Amino acid sequence: MTRTNAGSLADLQRAFQDYVLESGDGFTGSVRDTSKADRTTLLDVYRDGYALRLIEVLTTDYPGVLAMAGPADFDHMARAYIAAHPSRHPNARWVGKHLADFLGSTPPYDKSPAAAEMARFEWALGEAFDSPDEKPVPAEAVMSVPPEAWETISFAPLPSLRRVDFAFDVPPSWQRREEVEPGELEVAPLTEPVTWVIWRPELMSNFRSLERDEAAMVDAMIEGRPFPALCEALLAYVEEEQAPARAAGLLRSWVEEGMIGSFSH
Amino acid sequence: MNDIGFGLGLRHEHYEEIVAAPGKVSWFEALSENYMVAGGMPLHWLDRFRRDYPIALHGVSMSIGSIDPLDQTYLGELKQLIDRVEPLWVSDHLCFTGLRGINLHDLLPLPYTEEALDHVAERVLRVQDRLGRRLVLENVSSYVTYAASELTEWEFIAALAQRADCEVLLDVNNVFVSAFNHEFDAMEFLRGIPRERVRQFHLAGHINNGSHIVDTHDHPIVPGVWELYAEAVRLFPGVPTMIERDANIPPYADLLAELDVARSIAAKATARTASAREAAE
Repeated sequence: MTRTNAGSLADLQRAFQDYVLESGDGFTGSVRDTSKADRTTLLDVYRDGYALRLIEVLTTDYPGVLAMAGPADFDHMARAYIAAHPSRHPNARWVGKHLADFLGSTPPYDKSPAAAEMARFEWALGEAFDSPDEKPVPAEAVMSVPPEAWETISFAPLPSLRRVDFAFDVPPSWQRREEVEPGELEVAPLTEPVTWVIWRPELMSNFRSLERDEAAMVDAMIEGRPFPALCEALLAYVEEEQAPARAAGLLRSWVEEGMIGSFSH
Repeated sequence: MNDIGFGLGLRHEHYEEIVAAPGKVSWFEALSENYMVAGGMPLHWLDRFRRDYPIALHGVSMSIGSIDPLDQTYLGELKQLIDRVEPLWVSDHLCFTGLRGINLHDLLPLPYTEEALDHVAERVLRVQDRLGRRLVLENVSSYVTYAASELTEWEFIAALAQRADCEVLLDVNNVFVSAFNHEFDAMEFLRGIPRERVRQFHLAGHINNGSHIVDTHDHPIVPGVWELYAEAVRLFPGVPTMIERDANIPPYADLLAELDVARSIAAKATARTASAREAAE
């Protein structure tokens, strides 16, 4: 092959990337036609493949958003998202990280706030899926805490636990995503926002809604506040004398459901 | 290391089928990035299969040819995975996957120039220092030919292996694809690769568009690739072989049947080589 002065390694890589990202066509001058195909056809294998590959990742990560939007609108949205948020992680698994914020803040998608909420829920499920492993504390360990320790004891959730507020009926709609024609998943507004938690006690993720008092107590627990403060968090919703029993009941259910990763006192 | 035999790519679609049909392959190749996560199902399954099978790690994001600085976070996470898996070997691709911090999640070919060779060789040496082992680099399927290239792809690979003391994952399908796309002789490619450097073979399917072939890994292996594989086995005897399937993934049993074809072709090619040697003596 003959030597040419078609540019340094850095110049060639920049031009190639610009071509793939559709931000410049200068690279066409650096590659050859073959006897069978012109260089644009060949370069477009990379340009087309780039978008298709990332759209496939988003399709896998966001089946609920796809069920709401339908394939054509999802494809259009995904291309806009990829252009705004190119992947900056070696693992394509993270490419959809900003989708909920994108949908919530970018016209015309911001006119459908339910889609942003669906994306937030699906991303939380994805985060729980491969979050750090930690065994939930067993009920016996909590039951054997000495009475005097309950003044100072604090609990930490599993690393997988995510807490999300929804103004739309997102998780129940998500469960219907495969029962409807693509593009026809309806997500109804709620009369008031509902808090959900997503967590992974073993290998499979769980999610459920919280009563308002329970949501307040979860927030206090996530903040690392001691058990008496968890009881106080309930006072906006229950009578003072009922708060300790309600707090103890909620805590017991969290432990039984495997939401609690550790405690200290 | 040359008696490892025949393996398959470890894909989550097959986890349960592998458990139900143990011992059908000698080893698995796991995609490194799929398991460079904090915890959960991926690492649970990887640990489980590692108990029963040797595993090779195969990455797609090292971007060894990029002009961006080496991603030390990535290399640190890869080292953690290596320590966990104790793999047969660790491979990635001779390519770049992006720059300016962006990852295109594609295997972009390098210009085969002395400048690129210097650049990649220096980076391979640093990666090998960091990982504490030799790196195995795969020839990629490519669609464009740089006007700037001064060397053939096989000259570049051979020089890199020598200069950086790394090894080669010879993807037979990729040789076939690139030979078609760039109109070179696939046999000349194979003959240009130093025998002692080839650590592993890849086989896969592709789509031929007439004017060019796209390396899709979503179809069975085509006859032309099987023929080239037979030649590769003659030139590089005893090298472990595996089949990559990354899309349109069939049942595990179908890939086991395809792997039996590879076993049969390799056995015949090896026998023919042996009888030719005896005749010569």
